[in-house]
Amino acid sequence: MAAMAPALQQDDPEVAFPRRRRRKLGVYGLLVPAAILMGVALGYPLVRQFVISFQEYGLRQQFGQPAEWVGLKNYTDLLTDPYVWTVIGRSIVFCLVNAAATMLIGVAFAVLMSRIGRASRITLQVSLLLAWGTPVLASMTVWQWLFDSQYGVINWVLANVFGLEDMAGHSWIIEPLSFYFVATVIVVWMSVPFVAFSVYAGLLQVPEETMEAAQLDGASARQRFWNITMPMVRPVLSIVLLLQVIWDFKVFTQIYVLQRAGAPTRETNLLGTLIYSYSDEFSLAGALATIMLVITLALTGFYIRQMLKEDEL
Amino acid sequence: MKILRFAAVGVAAALTLTACGNGDDAAADPTEAGTPEAATIKLWLNGTDTPDALREYLTTTFESENPGSKLVIEEQDWNGLVPRLQTALGSADQTPDVVEIGNTQSPTFTYAGAFADITDMYDELGGDKLLPGFVAAGSADGSFYAAPYYSGARAVFYNKDAFAAAGVEVPTTLAEFTEVAKKLQTDTQSGFWFPGQDWYNGAAWIYTNGGDLAVQDGDTWKGALSSAESIKGLEEVQDLFATATNAPADSDSNEPWVPFNAGQSAMFSAPTWARWSIDLPQCNKAVDPDDTSDEAKALRGEQQACNEEHTGVFPLPGLEEGSYANGFAGGSNIAVAAKSKHPELAKSLLRIMFTEEFQNMLGANGLIPGNTEYAASMGDDVYAKAAVAAALNAKLTPAAEKWADVEGDRILEDFFQQLATGADVKEAAAETDQLLEDALN
Repeated sequence: MAAMAPALQQDDPEVAFPRRRRRKLGVYGLLVPAAILMGVALGYPLVRQFVISFQEYGLRQQFGQPAEWVGLKNYTDLLTDPYVWTVIGRSIVFCLVNAAATMLIGVAFAVLMSRIGRASRITLQVSLLLAWGTPVLASMTVWQWLFDSQYGVINWVLANVFGLEDMAGHSWIIEPLSFYFVATVIVVWMSVPFVAFSVYAGLLQVPEETMEAAQLDGASARQRFWNITMPMVRPVLSIVLLLQVIWDFKVFTQIYVLQRAGAPTRETNLLGTLIYSYSDEFSLAGALATIMLVITLALTGFYIRQMLKEDEL
Repeated sequence: MKILRFAAVGVAAALTLTACGNGDDAAADPTEAGTPEAATIKLWLNGTDTPDALREYLTTTFESENPGSKLVIEEQDWNGLVPRLQTALGSADQTPDVVEIGNTQSPTFTYAGAFADITDMYDELGGDKLLPGFVAAGSADGSFYAAPYYSGARAVFYNKDAFAAAGVEVPTTLAEFTEVAKKLQTDTQSGFWFPGQDWYNGAAWIYTNGGDLAVQDGDTWKGALSSAESIKGLEEVQDLFATATNAPADSDSNEPWVPFNAGQSAMFSAPTWARWSIDLPQCNKAVDPDDTSDEAKALRGEQQACNEEHTGVFPLPGLEEGSYANGFAGGSNIAVAAKSKHPELAKSLLRIMFTEEFQNMLGANGLIPGNTEYAASMGDDVYAKAAVAAALNAKLTPAAEKWADVEGDRILEDFFQQLATGADVKEAAAETDQLLEDALN
């Protein structure tokens, strides 16, 4: 919104009251196209999901039978099932571990980019862009083959180069913990470029003069980094972290593809894949998706408020 | 992803809404008896199971029997078929008119009302000559919705050279099968290719010992894996996993001929059309599969003959000598969509599929035709004999309304994988029975 303000101030000076009103109308008018788009693409499905979650809505209803209202039954069914809680717990842990790992590695890459020479920086940027740009399913196929128990390169290298004979034929995805390890490697690999580029862009905004002044005042490199650079890029960090938490919480494709590669499904489900498995009980899926939305808001609410506050300043 | 999923739900929801509107219109349309209005109808076939020659036959026959009408055949992937059908069948504008559906997925849709009632066509299509298990899978509440299309029974393929080297003969009982598999097993060669998630093959041990996956008790379904019969079969399965296979526990029944071709396995079990996928290195003539010259065709023929000379096939034996195991029957049903705008044309296509000529074409292509009267068209080579013997004894998954949920949740894949990784059979069976009951009721 801040960007619009100067443009509006160029309005011809008129009587105070109508001008204010016109300005307001103008602002809302500009919001209309976006609002319509959001309403159609997000609002309607969201409302529909919410409505369905209070109904008994399955395949039969899809083919024309009336949907019965069941009140909170779908929610109580889900929330009294210990398995659902296990999956929620897993999803939260997975999300936090992944978001933290992505942030750490991403920031490290950003700092690295701002310190190294042009040639190596461009090489690094191109490789990061490639990782970012590869379609998810294509890279998942590659990862799946790397970790394949029979023909995978990773097992081959471990067995033949490092002499760990036991690793020949080792299944990486059959144990939940090792499954999540593989999933984390893949998810982090895919999201690091975004963090690295965003934070790098933020680092470029730190004014040289401030750094120089601090240097003259005798601040060490470490002090300059923690006391000047970090606070200055904090808005970028917090918005990127927010996005990471949201993305990692609703991770689906990577988990689904790995499950289909032969992992035990029930022991490796996260919320995304569990909702997907309710594919013909739309009301349960709707209820769980709503629960997931509430958890997402709870996880990120603090950050969103913080960010809105900073925006107002 | 979330936006995508919301969008998908939105699209699905929108489709449902429009479907309701249009569905009423279609119902109001009076259908003229006798000659239906000319139109284009859609047939969905899954995977490449139905060969091109059969597709062509359907199109030309349909168009000559229904002048002015057209038949469009669209191929669907088996993967993700259920969700695709859920959305497409619910919309009068999107729905294919005639659909092929996997036999295990069929009950879910028949109970939901996705298919048109074709009880009145039952006798015309073949009556009690139709494959009985498939008829059960295509019926709900006493009405007939989905007719048996074809069945593909599983038979065991074996490498004759490996058998000779190990000095073993083709087994004649199920117990002997395990012994033979163990003798063939070495560090680099699996006796029997049996990946951990392969419940399609594993089910044969449960069924043959008299067990079942789930049984109906009044209105509810009960998991039957803990029954004494099932447990006996499952213990044999675990024995095979532990001592007669090197197949990874995290694989499924896809493409078992790959390790066989590579010499890493002496036996595998698959539908009999797997014969076309066998490609032993000593027989490979390195012909380009796209080369259509006479020379290439001759070489390919030679190659196939050589492959079949080194490969044998037998139906999995039963408990006693001379009997056959009750394997798991794969295959398809075929149905008219409830929301089809041209049900008469769709039914006319269904009639063509159940003519003697088309049924015989199915048989000639190695698929066991839906009407058992034409099973002779399979021919009488070893493959056909093994297929027919296996098919006559084959059994389907329980015809429960919610069976698709069991497959969607991959309950049995998980269960067999637990057996493959050495879990306690009784404990795992009891747990899985509970999961089956939760899913089916």
